[in-house]
This record gives sequence, C-alpha cells and structure tokens, in this order.
Amino acid sequence: MRAAPLSIDQQIAAMKATWPQFAARRVDRRTQSARWVGSVRPQYSSYSLEIRYGLGSFPEVRVLSPVLIHLPGNAEGQLPHVYPPAEDPTLCLFDPREREWSSAMTIASTTVPWALDWLACYELWLMTGRWTGGGRHAGSEFAQATETAQ
Amino acid sequence: MARWTHSAQHATEIDVNIQLAQTGLNPFDDPLDRILAEIALSVQLPPSLHDKAKSRYEAVRRHLEATTAFFDQIEHFYPQGSMAIDATISTRGTDEEYDLDIISQLGGRFRRMAPLEILTDLETALSDYPVQRVLRQTRCVTLFYADKMHLDVTPSLRVYSTLDRESLITHAKGPRRSDDDRLVDMNAYGFAQWYASRTPLELRMAKEFHRRWLDHAGLAARADADVDDVPDQCDFIVKNTATLALQLLKRFRNIRYASYAGRIPPSVMISYYAGLAAQPNMSLSAMLVRLASWIIRDIEQASLYGRLLHVANPVCATDVFTDRWPESIAQQDEFAEHLHELVRSLEAMRNGEMFPNAMMDTLRDDFGDRVVTRAADQIATEVGSGIQQSRQLYTRRGGVVLPTAAAVAASTVNPAVSAARPHTFFGRKI
Repeated sequence: MRAAPLSIDQQIAAMKATWPQFAARRVDRRTQSARWVGSVRPQYSSYSLEIRYGLGSFPEVRVLSPVLIHLPGNAEGQLPHVYPPAEDPTLCLFDPREREWSSAMTIASTTVPWALDWLACYELWLMTGRWTGGGRHAGSEFAQATETAQ
Repeated sequence: MARWTHSAQHATEIDVNIQLAQTGLNPFDDPLDRILAEIALSVQLPPSLHDKAKSRYEAVRRHLEATTAFFDQIEHFYPQGSMAIDATISTRGTDEEYDLDIISQLGGRFRRMAPLEILTDLETALSDYPVQRVLRQTRCVTLFYADKMHLDVTPSLRVYSTLDRESLITHAKGPRRSDDDRLVDMNAYGFAQWYASRTPLELRMAKEFHRRWLDHAGLAARADADVDDVPDQCDFIVKNTATLALQLLKRFRNIRYASYAGRIPPSVMISYYAGLAAQPNMSLSAMLVRLASWIIRDIEQASLYGRLLHVANPVCATDVFTDRWPESIAQQDEFAEHLHELVRSLEAMRNGEMFPNAMMDTLRDDFGDRVVTRAADQIATEVGSGIQQSRQLYTRRGGVVLPTAAAVAASTVNPAVSAARPHTFFGRKI
C-alpha cells in the first residue's frame, strides 16, 4: 500500500524542525505549494539554495548564489547531474526510474540532504574534474520518466 | 633522545577521560583540515622509509663502533632536527627524498682533535659503508641511500657541566685546515626535549593520523594492528596538531623557495615557533594560521627596529637558530610577506569565501601541485564513495560529514537526519 502524500503544512513543519535556516516563503495552501530559501555550507563554500515544491511535482532545487561554475570539456559535461536550461539549472538529486522519492517523504529528510550531497560532489568535481558521487546521466528515458512523474 | 612517552597505565587513563583530556581534534572531521592533513600525509616519511630510518641509524652506529677509530668512543648516538621532533618531511625541491640527522657524541681521543680531523676520521670510517655515496660536508658526513634517503651524521663533543647534551659540533670546510674551522655550540637534544614538553600528545588526533598514514601506504591491516602503539612504541610519528602545522609550514617554505639559490628560513627556527604557538585542541588550519602569524609578528617587530630576526635555542642561548638566515632585513620581510599570503588565503578558506577551484590553485601554489592534486583526489574518492554508500551525516548548518567516532558523537551532527537516505544523481550533462 502506498503511503499518503504529505500536505504542504507537514512539509513546512518538517523543514522548520530540521533545517530552521530554510525560511518558507510563498506558501499557497490552495495549490499546496511553497518555496524555501536557506544558506548551507556542505564542505568548503557557502551557498544560498532555493527549493520549490508543489504537491504532485518533484521538488526543484536551485543554487541562487554563487553562480555555479561550468567546466567546459569535462567528461561529465560542463555541469553534471542537473536539469536544463543551462542558464537556470535545477539539481537532479534522484533517479525518477528508481522511485527514490515520493510525495509521502519529507523534503527535509530527502531533498535537502541530497542537495548537500550534490554540492559536496560538485565542489570535489571542481577540485578534481571527477564526479565521484555516482549516478547516471539521462538518455532517451529521461523525458519519459519526468513526464510520468508529473 | 627526546621522546614523549606514556606508560600503558597512563594511556588507559587518557582513554577513560577522553572527553576531558586534551585529545586534539581529528583533522579528518573538518573539510579544510582534511585537505591540509592529506597534504601533510603526502609529504610525510612513508612507513617503508620510516622503518628503514630507525634501523639505519642504529646500523650506522654499529658500523662505526666496529671500526678501530670509533670503537668505544661513541658516548651517544641520537636523532636531531626534524627526526627528533617527529616533523620530517620531504626535502626541498622533491616529493620523495628525505634528510635525516643524527648526532654522534664522541669522547676519548676525539676531544683532543681539530674539527677537520674529526670530520675526516668519520668520513674514513664510513667510506666503505654500503650506500650510493658518502660525502663529507662542512658540519657532517652524509650517507646517500639508493632510495633517496640522506642520513647526516654530525660529530659532537659534549660540553661538560652544562645542561644535558649541550655540545660542540664540528665546522670545517676542508680539504685543508682553515682559520674558519671551529666548534659550534648547540643543544639539539635539549631543544627536542623543550619541543616535546611544549607539544604534548593529542591522542585522538595522533591515532587517526597514524591510521591514515599506514592506510595510505596500503598497510590497512597494519593500520588496524599498529594504531594502538601510539605513542609508546612509535617514534618519528606526528603526535599533535602543532607538529602537523609545522610540517605544513616547512612544506610551504620549501615550495615558495623552490627555485631560490641562497639560504632559506631554517627548519629549526620554524620548529621553535611551532613550540611557542602550540596549543591543545586547535583545528589544523587555525594552528597553521597561529604559527605563521607568530613568525610574522616577530619579523615585523625586528624589521621595525631595523634588526635582523634573532632566534636562539631556548635551552642554549649560544645555539643561534638564525645564525645563517636572515642575512638582511629584506630577506626576513620577504618571508613575512609569503606568510601573510598564506594567512590571508587560509582565512578566506576558513570563512568559506574561496571557491573550491580557486582554493585548489592557491593550495597548489602553497604546497605543490602533485601533493595537492593527490590530496584532493583522495578526498573526492572517499567522500564520493561515502555518499554512494549513504554513510554520510549532516550538520545542523548543512555540512556533509563522513563520520568518524568523534563526528558522530559531536553535537554538530543534525539528529533529525540520523541516516542518509540512498539516492542516485540523475539529470543531464549541460
């Protein structure tokens, strides 16, 4: 049996308890959506993160600042494991095909730590040119998986 | 020989009171300290040479005592310099060569000989020693081993009725006697004891560093077995954060002066400042900043009054560590400026104000390309693998930590995210 989706108020409460530095903004209970902005320092640098979520969609994570650095010619691409567009990328933190995320999970216990993992791997990728956190880049199944989820 | 030793009972007491004792911070728990510690690991005497160093200096003594000239004439044979304070790093301009220093305290007939004669006798006694090359230098005889280890054997004569092992060492350029030939006062043994008393064991830090040191050399099994030997049976191994900072500062000096032809800031002077700056339970980056800042302050004070920096052995005032460097105020100011750059960059890194790629460029300038690349690769592999296996934890402020026992116990770990949930990075290459 699939667990029931969490309401936006439940997501907000979990975020407040776990990551108090993430302030909830633009809370819309009618559409069950919210936006959080907060500052983190996974390893070496500090980042301002934005998380947008509406019930029925995947959470979207953006790095508001600093601007993400691209490495042209890198084997992993100029910027690995993101969703386009290149000028406004969102972090791709889980594989939709593996059903690693569902709306019954809190963003606080999944999306935020996964974004911290992404930033840690991103920094080490900048330092070494190697993405060591694993994962896979989408091929043709990418669009299909995204569409199915939404 | 200066050694920091503990009885087994004392070590047990430390374990019991680990929360109260000055156990040191594990440098591998903090991202910046971790890369600095990895750099220090890379310039460290590796376990294979470490074992050889111990056996070699004992073998040299046995060889000398088997000769007619030195039979029954050696009063003491002990390490000096970096070897005596566990701070050996690779030689300037290299990543894999190591200089080790031994004092051979001589008695009997040597007390009536001129400096050049003593050095020549030592050279003769070692001439058939099975190494690649034996070279008499101004103050010592150097043995060059095939694996690029160099062992300096410095003859000395004890100055009796002074503090333990205050001695005169030989100074003679040769090949003929000269008016410049002399005996130079020193107390390397007393200095090593002073340094050890200023930089006591930090057990948590030393154990973790020792484990990594063996692990890096592919001796993981030995790492598990040997790590409890610290500090009782393991000489020449870093035992506290101040010594790790000292090694990093020496490495920094070696890189900044890599193509410099003249004399450079001496290691023993930097060691003295590490002894002064030592303070328990500091992070490695903070200790490095503190050490560099201490030297900057003294240089700037001296330059302000138009004086050359003067640093003497704290247990032997006539043993002047700065007797050959600096030669000018400009020279000491140049070193202070290098140190200022180091402090500024470390502060920016500590404050999270430097992007990781810029941080790498800076670290490469400061500590050398190869060792910094190797350190970052090691960390990337370990952290990436930890994330893939969901072994990471998170701090309340949004930090990612690969847990050691200390990190798990620390109050900084976010209790609300007690286990990382497995996930697979996806998306596109853009």
